Amino acid sequence: MSSLTAARRMLQINRENAIGYLLLVPSIIIFAVFTFWPIIYTVYLSFFDWNMISPTKEYVGLKNYIEVLSDPKTYRILGNTFLYIALLLVINCAIPYIFAFVIDIVLKKYKNFYKSALFLPAFISLVVGSILFTWMLNPVSGPLAIVFGWIGLEIPNWSKAEGWIIVVLSLITSWKIFGYNFILLYASINGISREIIEAAKLDNIPLWRIFIQIILPMSSATGIYVFIITIVQSLQYVFTPVKVVSQGGPDYASSNLIYHAYHEAFVVYRTGHSATLSIITMALFLLLLFLEFKFVERGVYYEN
Amino acid sequence: MRISRHAETIWHFIFMVTVLVMVFPIIYAFGMSFKPLEDAYNNVLNILPINASLENYRTLFASLPVLKITMNTFVVASVATVFKLVTSFLAAYAFVYFKFKGKEVIYFLLIGTIFIPFTVTMIPNYLIISEIGMLDSVWGVILPQLADAVGIFLIHQAMKNIPGSLIEVARLDNMGHGRIMKDIVLPLVRPAVTSVGIWFFIGTWNEFVWPVLVLKTTENYTLPLALQMFISSEGGTNFTVAMAVSVITMIIPLILYLSFQKYIIGTFTSSGIK
Repeated sequence: MSSLTAARRMLQINRENAIGYLLLVPSIIIFAVFTFWPIIYTVYLSFFDWNMISPTKEYVGLKNYIEVLSDPKTYRILGNTFLYIALLLVINCAIPYIFAFVIDIVLKKYKNFYKSALFLPAFISLVVGSILFTWMLNPVSGPLAIVFGWIGLEIPNWSKAEGWIIVVLSLITSWKIFGYNFILLYASINGISREIIEAAKLDNIPLWRIFIQIILPMSSATGIYVFIITIVQSLQYVFTPVKVVSQGGPDYASSNLIYHAYHEAFVVYRTGHSATLSIITMALFLLLLFLEFKFVERGVYYEN
Repeated sequence: MRISRHAETIWHFIFMVTVLVMVFPIIYAFGMSFKPLEDAYNNVLNILPINASLENYRTLFASLPVLKITMNTFVVASVATVFKLVTSFLAAYAFVYFKFKGKEVIYFLLIGTIFIPFTVTMIPNYLIISEIGMLDSVWGVILPQLADAVGIFLIHQAMKNIPGSLIEVARLDNMGHGRIMKDIVLPLVRPAVTSVGIWFFIGTWNEFVWPVLVLKTTENYTLPLALQMFISSEGGTNFTVAMAVSVITMIIPLILYLSFQKYIIGTFTSSGIK
């Protein structure tokens, strides 16, 4: 009882703010049980040898880390992961940025139609997307292969080709996430004061300079958010086409850190390796967030 | 400066091509789901089937408990959505209208979970669900998803736009928080809550990663898992039936999106990331 009183004094709980804490309880319980505790437990598992079935776990210290970091496969998958990141950033951050600028500043007609149509795939299952594009891009009998055939072009056998497989799976993932990023960036650009842009237009400043000198800095808060979610979320979205279309193959050529962690845990039952890979992935993400806060955030323009 | 008509035309062309890439496969899937298998391979470029038939749907209903699977998907999506909305609304209300110690830290921690890769939590969550006997059950899929950081964030953004004086006046009138929520705040943030709700519903409807770990038997599957059965690397991919499952999987999200798109786009464009 006395500790409860102490806790109450420490948090300065009174009748008024007690309700505030109370309202948070449901969310906090769910996050504590299904997010925060699991993070700690995954760290714990990364120090053990276990296969998820055996009743005992063997403490192995840093062995999992040493094994994962000395496995050439890990570096291959890390390379794939960075290739996915690079492709996804171009397709889902750079291009939608330009599109959002163009639709807001350059185009006058069909704006709502473009917005609705480009946002549409965000509401459709990525498994559906994976299947549709596997058919559309089928190198032998797909519609695109036939149209390409008329002009003497061939579609590479991408599901068996290193490199191409990552390009195609990135395109499938982009189909799903492009519209969401586009809408967020559009919203941010659309919120910039029209007077500044009109003044710049009257001064005959070319569009590309308006984009770089006015739009980019003034929408940078959203820009950076989209940049980060593209890296963090899209890498997870890639999981679906990898699982559905390639299962990481051929020979790990399309696996990324996320898929590999799944593969280690639920296909080959090496819980320790999986946990280690997940912790490494999380460390990379956190490093990225840290760098963002430390170096980029200072130059960001916040409207409010 | 006037934007040249020329540049505008080129951009319209680029946008049209992009729209085509995004939307054509969806339209094509509808046509293909009514093509007999030979038709699908011989008349690839016809969007509409030459000999339209329900063969694919018949095969599908004969080989899978489609109604049960659709029902599972519906249960997961609606239960998770209702809970996420309630917990997010309550949490957002606490963050906007209360001052208490540790508020910023708690908010930061909850929103920060958006950036945690799911593999970090997947093994322990699997073990928890397995421990409480919810493996291979829709409830095991639902349980970890009763709260949502994106929901807290978006509803928080909407509530921040309500003038604080409105709430102060209500408090001075001795109005309880329950009534303030119900009679003042909820009506004002209803558009945001509606579109966040639709976003949640469609998101859980389409969810794949977590259900793939939890659900084991076909009759407990959700639609995206059932769909995955029709495309296997071990051969036996039946694309026309796969298109029929695709149509069933996307029809509800499509209807919801097309009916509420103004609302939804409005919420995402007005919430802002600030």
